[in-house]
Amino acid sequence: MTELRLVGGTAVAEPAPAEDVPTLRLSPGRHGIPADLVRAHQRLRLLEAAAAALAEQGYGRLTATRVTELAGVSSRTFYQHFEDLWACVLAAYESEASQLCEEIESACAMLVEERGPVAQADRRGRARAGIAAGLRFLASQLDAARLLSAEPPPQIAALAAARRDLIERLGGMLRGVLAGPDGATPLPGLERRLIGAALALVSSRAAGGDPHRLRKLEPELSELLLASL
Amino acid sequence: MSAEASAAINKVDALAAKGGSERDVREGAMEGVLVACGELGFRETSVRSILEHSGGHRAQFYQHFESKEECFAQAYAAWIERLCLSLLEAAATTPGWEAGVREAIVRLFQFVSERPAIARALFVEVQIAGEPALSRHEAAVERLAAAIDSARNDIDPSEAPPEATGVFVVGGIESCVAEALSAGDPGRIWHALPELMHFTAGSYFGKEAAEGAFERASELLERERIRLSGTERVEK
Repeated sequence: MTELRLVGGTAVAEPAPAEDVPTLRLSPGRHGIPADLVRAHQRLRLLEAAAAALAEQGYGRLTATRVTELAGVSSRTFYQHFEDLWACVLAAYESEASQLCEEIESACAMLVEERGPVAQADRRGRARAGIAAGLRFLASQLDAARLLSAEPPPQIAALAAARRDLIERLGGMLRGVLAGPDGATPLPGLERRLIGAALALVSSRAAGGDPHRLRKLEPELSELLLASL
Repeated sequence: MSAEASAAINKVDALAAKGGSERDVREGAMEGVLVACGELGFRETSVRSILEHSGGHRAQFYQHFESKEECFAQAYAAWIERLCLSLLEAAATTPGWEAGVREAIVRLFQFVSERPAIARALFVEVQIAGEPALSRHEAAVERLAAAIDSARNDIDPSEAPPEATGVFVVGGIESCVAEALSAGDPGRIWHALPELMHFTAGSYFGKEAAEGAFERASELLERERIRLSGTERVEK
């Protein structure tokens, strides 16, 4: 997750580090930082805390209280940002899902930029680059990996819809790779099954808390996702 | 209240009439927690709502279980064990890898259609329940994955698929079932049979096997639709 860090009294955006590092809390009191930056920083902390609390407690026991504790903000601050617990989890889910998709898309685009039309025609190569980038992102953000791969409560309709959207978006990318020169996919809807299976595999590997198990998955996951090519 | 919940209560009433033992009370609560979680969701289920399904008193419940979480985990373990045995038996008694896997998926779909609330607890709410149920879920996935892997290796041990194939395939089947149950339409799961056979055979044997498995599952579904036309099992 992109973080705001204080450099010479100014908050600047900085790319995510390689491993999970909790966003620092601003010291209370006067610090001369614009209010909107403080709010943005609080929101980021809350989104990270939502993923961390979920990894710790699971959906069954997740509470707004635990999210505020981990974020180091008051309950009042929490409700200034979010209507309720699920609005916060949804925002965290959407933020991480969007970053995951961007990582995958930019890895595929970079390959085409570097290698030109050869890479464009190399469907397997592009897919493998995207899958490796996705797994690298998830391994560096284990809480995000758990958040994105775990099945949310179907009763929380917006969260369930966000998961469907992620499966649809990842499925669309896979469909683009699986499609032959005529644009026909091996079987309409197959990509949804494949993405569901990939998320289940990621969930199982992320559960142990070892990022290497996720990173090592690339050759196998690529082979499985591309088996129908 | 659903027909499934009424059946659970009738069963407990029958046990009580017979002077049900503590074991019966425990069994009743274990079915009750799954039906309640399947209908209300794990977060919304309380010990009170479990007892509304199973009968009995809070004191009896707490003699057997420390909490809702523990009751769910024990119930999950017992029911998933039964279901796994049933699926493995279906596969083992059907000749051929593809037909065996298809028969196991058909039996899974029958269970989902007949016991939707319990299926929802086993395939959807277990993800919400967290530990210790999740560890038991992992164990069940590993067991089924090992069984499909082993049956595949019996055919051609020389070209082994990726090590993660079994967990990938079981996860894909499970997510398909969870999707149908979360949408509140378990009967529609039957339409996914050809697609799931394509996915499963393709993961182990590649494109040609996937297309053959898809065709044969589609034909089976069509024959069943004609045979059972007008009944609820396969909707038009």
